[in-house]
Amino acid sequence: MSLVQRNAWTLGLLVLFVVLLGVTRAIQPGFGVSGLESLARAALPFAFATAAMAVVVIVGGIDLSVASMMAVCSVTAAVLMQSMGGVPAILITLAVGTAMGLVNGALIVLTRVPDIVVTLAMLFVWQGTALLILASPGGTATDWMRSAITGSVIVDGLPKALVLVALVVAVVWVPVKRSKLGLAIYATGSDETAAYRSGVAVGRTRTLAYGIAGLFSACGGLGLLALTGVGEPVPGPYLLAAVASVVLGGVILGGGIGGLLGPIIAVFILRIIRTILTLAAVDPNVTTIVEGTIMVGVVMFGAVLVLRSRGAGP
Amino acid sequence: MNRRLMMGAAAAALTVAMTPAAMAQEGYVIGVSNTVQGNGWREEMICAMRAQALVEEDVASLIVAHRNTDSAGQLEDLNNLIEAGVDAIVLNPSNPDALNSALEAAMEAGIVVVAVDAGVTAEGAYILSNNQEEYAYLGAKWLFEQIGGSGDVVYMRGIAGVSADTDRDNGFKRALAEYPDVTVVHEVFTGWQQDQGKQQMFDFLATGIPFDGVWTSGIDNVIVDAFVESGAPLVPIVGADNAGFVEDLLTVEGLQGAAVTNPGSVGGAGIALAVDILNGNPPDSTTVLVDPVLWENATDAGRAMIEAAQNPNLDPEWPVSVTIPGWTDYSMEQIIACDGPA
Amino acid sequence: MTPSDDPLLDAQGVAKSFGAVRALTDARLTLARGEVVALMGANGAGKSTFVKILTGALQPDRGHVRIRGQSAQVGSPAQARRSGLVPVYQEPSLIPDLCVADNLRLVDTPVDGFRHWLTELAHGDLRLDAMIRDLPLASLRIVDLARALAMRPDVLLLDELTAALPTDLVDRVLTVARQQAADGRGVIYISHRFAEISRLCDRATVLRDGATVGEVDIAPGIEDQVVEMMLGARIDLGKRAAAIARPRPEGRPRLRVENLAVAPKLVDASLALHPGEVLGVVALEGQGQDELFDALAGFRTPLSGRIEVDGVAAGFRHPADAIAAGLTLVPGNRAEALFRERSVRENIAMPFSARPGAWGPLRMRHEKARVAEAIERLQIDTRAQGEVQRLSGGNQQKVTIGRWLAHGVRTMLLFDPTRGIDVRTKRQIYPLVRELADQGAAVLFYTSELEEIPLACDRAIVIFNGRVVDMVEATEADEERLMRAAYGLTGSEGAA
Repeated sequence: MSLVQRNAWTLGLLVLFVVLLGVTRAIQPGFGVSGLESLARAALPFAFATAAMAVVVIVGGIDLSVASMMAVCSVTAAVLMQSMGGVPAILITLAVGTAMGLVNGALIVLTRVPDIVVTLAMLFVWQGTALLILASPGGTATDWMRSAITGSVIVDGLPKALVLVALVVAVVWVPVKRSKLGLAIYATGSDETAAYRSGVAVGRTRTLAYGIAGLFSACGGLGLLALTGVGEPVPGPYLLAAVASVVLGGVILGGGIGGLLGPIIAVFILRIIRTILTLAAVDPNVTTIVEGTIMVGVVMFGAVLVLRSRGAGP
Repeated sequence: MNRRLMMGAAAAALTVAMTPAAMAQEGYVIGVSNTVQGNGWREEMICAMRAQALVEEDVASLIVAHRNTDSAGQLEDLNNLIEAGVDAIVLNPSNPDALNSALEAAMEAGIVVVAVDAGVTAEGAYILSNNQEEYAYLGAKWLFEQIGGSGDVVYMRGIAGVSADTDRDNGFKRALAEYPDVTVVHEVFTGWQQDQGKQQMFDFLATGIPFDGVWTSGIDNVIVDAFVESGAPLVPIVGADNAGFVEDLLTVEGLQGAAVTNPGSVGGAGIALAVDILNGNPPDSTTVLVDPVLWENATDAGRAMIEAAQNPNLDPEWPVSVTIPGWTDYSMEQIIACDGPA
Repeated sequence: MTPSDDPLLDAQGVAKSFGAVRALTDARLTLARGEVVALMGANGAGKSTFVKILTGALQPDRGHVRIRGQSAQVGSPAQARRSGLVPVYQEPSLIPDLCVADNLRLVDTPVDGFRHWLTELAHGDLRLDAMIRDLPLASLRIVDLARALAMRPDVLLLDELTAALPTDLVDRVLTVARQQAADGRGVIYISHRFAEISRLCDRATVLRDGATVGEVDIAPGIEDQVVEMMLGARIDLGKRAAAIARPRPEGRPRLRVENLAVAPKLVDASLALHPGEVLGVVALEGQGQDELFDALAGFRTPLSGRIEVDGVAAGFRHPADAIAAGLTLVPGNRAEALFRERSVRENIAMPFSARPGAWGPLRMRHEKARVAEAIERLQIDTRAQGEVQRLSGGNQQKVTIGRWLAHGVRTMLLFDPTRGIDVRTKRQIYPLVRELADQGAAVLFYTSELEEIPLACDRAIVIFNGRVVDMVEATEADEERLMRAAYGLTGSEGAA
């Protein structure tokens, strides 16, 4: 299989995104650099939530507590930044996020309770934890953190927020994917028995995958803090959006197939669709229907293509 | 396979492009941003905005971003409204501090910003708000008086961490400090959800712990239902001016209660204010507070006010104070129709 | 060949129980350098449990497994690998969504060695970026084997590796395995095929009822001795039910199968099944019987051949087609046949109300009487009638078979219906099968337990290596005869 063929889905999503950018320009000719920048900023927390979800879906699980972990991390960082510098606060928050993810994973592996049940329970646990840390929105974010995601870098129209997402995901995921752990994650998600027989430490792999998801959730929480400047203890609408982007991004629910690039492009697609619907002044009660319809349509269309290409093959 | 995928992408994009676009009429374009959908109060707010925009001659169109989301989502909506080139933004802010980056960008672009229902800290933004702290204080004080200045009360709040809830909590605590013999025997968050609040009251009634009164943060008529359905003796209940609760105050035998006004029509007032500012008539101060009024069914004067305000055509979750004299210009029919300018 | 002082692998006194079931009581196996040892045993002898313990996938309750004299227990497949034991399982252990190269990386396989062995195994042109999912079954086994060989294992364990391979590849595999031994390594070879074992192996270790009952050197004519060891004292247990066996019926068969081939394992099967007849199917695991039953039930489409029902050619494209033609499958896995959360009553009534095309209202009263009668006949403990899942496995199976007594059935396909059922209930199931046939049903009956053939069947066909190789009358079907047939030691195309 050629590189293009193997990444056909991701490339298709990229093309779809570019087309949607064109549509946006057609509706609102003034849409330009600042529009791209706000799009990237809006996508920031969604992108990290989606990266977190994608990793656990690839390992064959699901994590319903992603949005709650983001809330915990956002309030943790917001509170810490009142009393210490930004860098140590960020490092502690990343550690907290990873630890929460590892707890999720360890519970699933040790108790053998299905992941969907464990993470549903942990959704409430982390939600309560966030409220314990900060009962109502508050705390603070350092100024440089807020400016880190505002505006463009290198050239106009390359939003800092986009570069940040790309950098963080690359720094975390590329080494993992290139390593034994990455291979083990894909193997476990693809066929757990075969992976076990191949000598993969399935339990440890799964726990680490949830840990990575926790780390990405922490990034998402920090992204939220950078966006709003306050820590918000109530989880936002990131759980279902993340699942949607993961599916749209070509990761198969059930595991083993897909990457992080596709889902992150899918995040941008879903965000720009909202922009288009707002620009076009579509009735707000209709927008979610349109969003859902487009998602189902693209995924179904893709499934048909995959079936055809399989059928046509030798 | 790849080429097909691209063609498909183009087709999908075309579908999107078919949706109604472009607005090139004369007059102001006003953007609306709201983060709670499906709640009676917020729905009335949106309808009041639409109705007011309809009767304002200078408003050409309204772009409404109205969904359930958090501060980051509201930031996204605000930025999209800025991109859409609106003249003014009327928003119900999810948080006083979190939205400043977008609001400052809007004002820099010459867009008038009016926050309704709750405040924002961005400098230069206008605030038209119900006084939430006063709302809670007024109702709590009435309740504590009603039970004779001492006793146990159930305290049913909204959503933890939301600023309106925090403000109301401050007001409630202020009243509580004035009545040292009153204790809160049970405190819950209803999430401003009717079914959840009702279930919580059922659960608490089932424990058999005695109490003398209930303060609710606007989830009120279902609390009365819970008492009636479980056959428990009624205690004084404080709620908001939601149509269902106001009707209960007049019709449920033995119910002593008070409704504190918290008009959702403040949204309509926000539109009117935005148009005034655009037309060069800004108010003296950037903050305009709408103070609540308390209607009790214990006195004849109170009953008369309730009877005057009642309207059987309203959704039971809507506040009955559908207009704010001096601010809104639409008729009862127009707000119920909920149609904005084309 | 003389074993050196320190055996490569030494397992002694291995025991393992699952709850009340004692899968292994005293299993032993030694493998010296330069040796190829066959591990043999009939179905249920505990072979697969023993293999799992040897490879670290299970921990024994008692006994020990030493690899190259290391006394540490083999705690996991990964640890076994590090100690030098590399298994190649019956089912491929490759990750379907990874390409070949990634599968190598997953277990740190040297690519050069892998390529070398691929070439040795006639797969030199296989691309390393091919997805496992897209490879044919035979290639998967070769990739699996080449990957194992590239690890330069001291102990290579081959579990039924050749079952899915064409003859030329089997030859290659045997050559390569022999080469391992010649290089001073060891091979444990698990197979049902005497032909391969006598060509390849030095010794055979025989398991019966969870214990090692003997080790024999492979020599010409050793088959009889091995079969005897596998059967042990059970030979005389075949209590004759043959008295009830009917003579071979005349006339047009209900079901006729001619030269049927079904991917991947069934090559050539022919049979005729008459009304009132119970025809047994004798086969070791994985000889093609799964494919035969699946094709008859409409789950799989045959590659070639012909299925006739009442003299009319049938092409099943969906299970509903087979059901409409009167063919009813009772799967070995009861969970596939029953609605576990529903009542016994509903389960018995189900085939009746779920007749294809019958969407109308249920005829409740009619149904009630029939169901009550069926429960009575089946002697099902009515205390647990609420949910089928609360019945014992045996009673569940009685429901899956017995409900057809209430509804009438034309052709019944029973696939290992007594697997994991206690002896008492088994004895109740045979008469049920007989009764179905007496009602005029034609019954095809596969069982993994040979001694059941004379108890339940009129006669039996033998499938070996994807072909029907023999036909045995129940009156002459003692267990030894059947065992020899199952191992391909008799019949027209028997090997060895």
